[in-house]
This record gives sequence, structure tokens and C-alpha cells, in this order.
Amino acid sequence: MLHLWLLKTAQNHPLLVELKNGEAYNGHLVSCDNWMNINLREVICKSRDRDNFWLMPECYIRSSTIKYLRIPNEIIDTVKEEVAAKGRGRGGLQQKRQKGHGTGGAGRGGIPGTSRDQPERRPGREAGKQ
Amino acid sequence: MNYMPGTASLIEDIDKKHLVLLRDGRTLIGFLRSIDQFANLVLHQTVERIHVGKKYGDIPRGIFVVRGENVVLLGEIDLEKESDTPLQQVSIEEILEEQRVEQQTKLEAEKLKVQALKDRGLSIPRADTLDEY
Repeated sequence: MLHLWLLKTAQNHPLLVELKNGEAYNGHLVSCDNWMNINLREVICKSRDRDNFWLMPECYIRSSTIKYLRIPNEIIDTVKEEVAAKGRGRGGLQQKRQKGHGTGGAGRGGIPGTSRDQPERRPGREAGKQ
Repeated sequence: MNYMPGTASLIEDIDKKHLVLLRDGRTLIGFLRSIDQFANLVLHQTVERIHVGKKYGDIPRGIFVVRGENVVLLGEIDLEKESDTPLQQVSIEEILEEQRVEQQTKLEAEKLKVQALKDRGLSIPRADTLDEY
């Protein structure tokens, strides 16, 4: 599971973005693109020393200035549900079409080992499999 | 199984607990969930660990998406050996206070240095702005 996909799932959720210069932007994700450029709304910008605050209705952050993003924990559960839903939908289609290749993007296996940490075991692709 | 012998890859490190050091000096510890060719990382159940002297404090931070260029290094944490450390864990408030004191002494020392250099006609740019081009 790639981080971009995680971000796309995080739309409309609150995020915290820290830029390379130390400024922190708190806001709801409106959109993101393939380069991780993001659009936020209802943004609170805090300066590096956390001394100054700015409130903005929306802002655009270029991905190259981002140090990291923090996303809410619930996103992981949302992603898991989405993957399960996608898998179920694709699984039905596959049965109808009887396509040979099982890779069709169905059920990428979700987030590898979310509930299982070490010792490592990658859960197989539960969705899309017969 | 390495598909390209002689190369380095983070594939084997997925779902393992890692310590990640960022360019700004922060230490993050979390389970590595996702990687890509730029070493952008997704860390789960992340904790920010602040070290001051022999003490450390952990601040739980949730899910981190770290842009690869900000990572200095990362290393796998052996879960069994993890607790085997001479360092002492303290509360968040305490470590933040210790950190504040440490930053203050550093700033004062830095100020004196900068002043001394200025008196000699030298000026060294601050380390964190060195990368700006």
C-alpha cells in the first residue's frame, strides 16, 4: 500500500503537515495529487517556534516543501474497509467474467500486517481469491 | 528473496519496528507499513522519542507519512533487545523540560560563538539553512 493511496483515502480528514522549515499546518485535506501536493481547508498555520498562528480558509502546499504528514489513526481502519469493499466488488465481477489473471488490482491485501506485527506474516489477498 | 542482488531495499523491513532519524534531528519509532522508490515511509503506531543525556521520553504520534528526502537513516529494532537499554525513560513533561533547558544552554553557547566569530570578521550560516539553495 503506497502512501499516495493512503492520502487519497484521507480526503476530508484532518491532517497535520510539517514543512521543512518547521512550520506546522493543521487542516482538512481537500485533495492531493500524484506528487503529494496538497490542498487544505480551514487551516491553522503555526510558526516554527509555535509562537505565531495564522488562520486561513484554504491553502496549497507543494510536496517538495513537506517534511512529513501526520494522519489520524482512524484512517487505517477506513482504508481496511475500503480495500475489503473494493475486493468484494471486484470478486463478483471476476466470477462473471471468469478472467484468468487474478491480479486485477482486486484486494491488494490491504495494509500488510496491520494487526500482526512481529513475527512478520503477510496476510494473503483475502479479497478476489476464490 | 532479493530480485536484484547487490542492491539495497526496504522491502524486507515492512511491518517491522524501526527507528527513523530525520534531518531535523527528530527520532521516530514505529512500524514500517509502506515504502516507495524515494524511501517515503508510512509509519504506524509511531512514537517520537526525545533523548536528553541518559534520559528519554516517548510521545505517541499515530500515523506518520514521511517524505523520503528528510530521512537520514532508519534501523530495525529488535523487539527482544529493545528494553535492554542503559537509558532511563521519564515522563513526557520531564523530558520536554529537560529538552528546553538543553536547547537554552545550546542557544547561549551558540550566541557567544557567533559573537566571537563576528568580532573576528567571520560569519558561519546556521546549519539548518545550509541546504536552502
